[in-house]
Order: sequence, then C-alpha cells, then structure tokens
Amino acid sequence: MLKKIFCFRKYIIFTGVFIGISATVLQKLGNPANMGICIACMERDIAGALGLHRAAVVQYIRPEIIGFVFGSLIAALIFKEFKARSGSAPLMRFVLGFLAMIGALVFLGCPWRTLLRLAGGDGNALFGLAGLITGILVGIFFIKSGYNLGRNQRTYPLVGWIMPLIMMGLFLLLLFRPQLPSGAVFFSSQGPGSQHAPLFIALLVAMVIGFLAQRTRFCTVAAVRDVILIKDTYLFTGVISLLLAALVSNLILKQFHPGFQGQPIAHTNQLWNFGGMVLAGLAFTLAGGCPGRQLFLSGEGDADAAVFVLGMIVGAGFAHNFDTASSPQGPGLWGPASVIVGLIICLIIGFSMSDLMKKKKEA
Amino acid sequence: MKGNYSVVIFYSTSAAIRAESLAKKDELIVKLIPVPRNLSSDCGICLRFNNEDKPKIEKILQDGKVEYENIYGI
Repeated sequence: MLKKIFCFRKYIIFTGVFIGISATVLQKLGNPANMGICIACMERDIAGALGLHRAAVVQYIRPEIIGFVFGSLIAALIFKEFKARSGSAPLMRFVLGFLAMIGALVFLGCPWRTLLRLAGGDGNALFGLAGLITGILVGIFFIKSGYNLGRNQRTYPLVGWIMPLIMMGLFLLLLFRPQLPSGAVFFSSQGPGSQHAPLFIALLVAMVIGFLAQRTRFCTVAAVRDVILIKDTYLFTGVISLLLAALVSNLILKQFHPGFQGQPIAHTNQLWNFGGMVLAGLAFTLAGGCPGRQLFLSGEGDADAAVFVLGMIVGAGFAHNFDTASSPQGPGLWGPASVIVGLIICLIIGFSMSDLMKKKKEA
Repeated sequence: MKGNYSVVIFYSTSAAIRAESLAKKDELIVKLIPVPRNLSSDCGICLRFNNEDKPKIEKILQDGKVEYENIYGI
C-alpha cells in the first residue's frame, strides 16, 4: 500500500524536495535569507529593476522567475502540452494578481517563502501560514457557492508565447544591463536586491523547477484547497516535502535560526502578518493557484495566468510607491488600510461572480 | 480496476462541485478527484463516475446546464 502511494507520488515528492533543497542552496550561494526562492519578492525585485518602484534596496531582475517560465515552457513543448489559451476574465485576474501582491508584501513573502521562512526558523511565518489557510478557506467558500471566472478559449499560438517572450526580454536586460539616462535598468547596490546567487546557476535551477512543476502541477494553494475540498493529498504531499527538505537542508547548512525577533526580511506585527496573507490566500484561490503555479501556467500557454503575473508585478510597483509594503520595521503606513480595502474588493468579486448574488435575487 | 471509471473534466472547479451535488441527488456513486495528470496539466478537479452511469451523468450535466470540457475513460 505504502509502496503504491509512493509510486504514484514519487514525482510530486521529488519536486517538493528539489524545490526545498534548491531554495536553501540558492540562499547559501547568495540569495537573501529565507528567500532562496520567493515568487512575490522576486517579481517585486523585477518591478524595481524596471523602475516601477524606486525602493533602492529591492531592484534586480531575478533569473529564477525567468527560469520558472522557461522550464515550464520546455516541459510543455516536449510533452506536447503547450496550449495557447485565454479569455477567462483576464482583467479580473490582473486585479487579483495585484491584490495578492499587496497582501504578500504586507507579510513579506508568497506561500513558497512562508514555507521557507518556517524552515528557516522564523516563527512569524506561522501567522502568515494561518492567514494563508484562512484566505484559502474563504476562497473555498466562494468556489462551493459557484464562483468561477468563466471558461478560457483556445487561441492563436502567439498569445501563449507572450509571457515566454517577455521573460526573454527580461533575460536580455539582465544579461546586457543597459544603462539609460533615467537610471534604468536599476540594480540594487545594497540590501536584499544586491544579494543574489550566480546568474546561470539560479537560472538553471529555476528551469529544472519549472520543468518538474509543469509535469507534476505543483501548487501550494491548490494543495490546501484539494485537502479541504475533496480530501485529496497529492499536491499537499509535495508541499510537505518542500517544507521538510528545506528544514533539513537549512539545519545542514547552518541556516536554521529559530525565533521571532530579528528574523531576516520579516517583521513581528502578527496581526498584519496574518491579515496580509488572508488577502493573498484569498486572491490566489479566487485566481485558481499560487504565484508559482501562475508562472508555470503562463509558460505552457495560459495567457490568463500571464495576466495575473503582470498584475502581481504592477502591484509590487504600487506597493512600494504607495507605502503599503512592509519593511523589517513593520507594516508600511498604508499597509493595513490596503489589506482591508483589498479584502473588501476580493469579497465583492467572490460574491458577484458566484451564485450567491443570483440566490439573493431569486429570494 | 482500470477501465471501470470515467471522469468528466470541467472548465471550473465550481462546475465540478455543482455536477457532484446534482449526481449525488440522483444517488449516483461519484467522487471529486484531481484531474489525472495524463489528461490535462490543469491543477483542477474532475468528477469520477462508474462507466455504466455514463448516460445518466450526461443527462444530468445537460439538464443542469453544467458546461464541461470532455468525458474520458480512465
């Protein structure tokens, strides 16, 4: 029985373990602490490099993001799963991506980094994790009430290639680092943005992750959703594997520092660690997947997932320009307000795009 | 075991849930499962049913106006 389970699940376990180990090793090779991989933080750094925000310490074109899309693209092409598709409420996905980023930057991390922060001993991440699960639960309530974004349609192959091409453009900017009079492309000289693993190692590792994740459908948000909604633990096995592998790897690499105070790129305001991730978890669930999954989908031709990613990148620019993003000192001036407004918007989306409104009208 | 079941693939998770509740109302034995990897790379949910119930399932989906992508034997 156990063997059968393992056989069926060995790929998802391997994917989780590979991500967990890679993240901690990338940290060892130069990425910021407990941020070996963080989709939200890394997209935020890309937003900074492009000048969408001017927070000088978080600007770098992270090759990991590029690699995730390329890896998924290659897997999809090899296994003939590249399908250009779009038209499932793209603008709504942009808004959800934007809000997910607002929430993630109040907590300071995406679901992946939540796990990696836990594996690094950061107790504050427990509140983020609780928030994430709460957000997913609210999302499940809407899904059970008929919430959906409408179906997508097959479309011209070029549409599916837009995201990989954008990533190719970013890769060229990273490689040649042109300096324009405006100051772009911006690269941090200090702070987390200046800390990075060697470019080609990071790119290669991320491509392997993208490849594996495309094959296994690895997703941190759907993992929790499936456990609760249909009592299926396939994806969840991958998430647990990631957490355990990162924990063991951190212990070996001496990167495990348990505690709440002074954790790297984290703050101790637990209310908003929780609140930020409620917003992010809800927005991810309403959009159908975690930020990693959205990248992998955009690599295999899903233009709606690509719009979500662009929403996240723009959201990161907004978060730093309008002081909604947290810093190690605590939430930004407008952080709490932005989470509350974001939650209200998500609730309106959930109600109005489900059967809840219809039922009310009929009653 | 292989060959006894089929799955309906939907465009949304909520459609799958709706189909499940409709099928259960008609006392069919169905189960929501993750979409089998070989059918689609979506991380979505599909509805599994016994092959012999296929006509009933199709009727339920049609009557309930549940839009679905396809039905596959697994």
